[in-house]
Amino acid sequence: MVERIEDLNLPNAVITRLLKDALPDGANVSKEARSAIARAASVFVIFLTSTSTSLARKQNHKTITATNILDALKQLEFESFIDPLTKDLEAYRKVVKDKKDKAKKDTSGTENGTEKESENAA
Amino acid sequence: METELPHTRIRAIMKSSVDTGQVTNEVLFLMTKSTEMFLKHFAKESYQHAKKPNNLTYNHLADLVQENDNLAFLLQIIPQKIKVKEFKALLEQGDESSESSSDSE
Repeated sequence: MVERIEDLNLPNAVITRLLKDALPDGANVSKEARSAIARAASVFVIFLTSTSTSLARKQNHKTITATNILDALKQLEFESFIDPLTKDLEAYRKVVKDKKDKAKKDTSGTENGTEKESENAA
Repeated sequence: METELPHTRIRAIMKSSVDTGQVTNEVLFLMTKSTEMFLKHFAKESYQHAKKPNNLTYNHLADLVQENDNLAFLLQIIPQKIKVKEFKALLEQGDESSESSSDSE
């Protein structure tokens, strides 16, 4: 659970790195612009999550799926994201599958339980 | 497959809405990637808007938000700036018009 509102902020250092990636060398981003972009990204997560959740609900599912997210992106008019993200997703699935296959071979199936970050949440 | 933004934080933001059910690792990965793509896309588009080269400022972001329907969800997060003078003028205008047609709130 979120205890402080700052817990919904994304880390500044990562935002700076992503912006450096996206913009040409020598581009200067004002402090105010950077913090607005960070806020926008947080809101984007909430927006995309709630749109995906309602798509899942329509199919009587409680848990959202990757397909729900891709459909939500289309609905929200971010169609251009879908192709590259689909490729990322395929690559991710392959990595997970390879890991599983490897784990099966090793047969030492000691998996880590889900870590609970803050159990003292009010 | 690497992501830059921390998954724990993205999960916390997703879970900040009470409606959100379970979040699988795959969904978390895709959400993180989507967010990174959005962030870069938003910055790039705004930067192309910047008339003065090499400088991305708040106003460029606010302009882009005004112009694009798919960014309408940011209208309240990144509003256009107005000067105090303009704000006062708006308030006075509002007072005058609210006498005839009452504005909600």
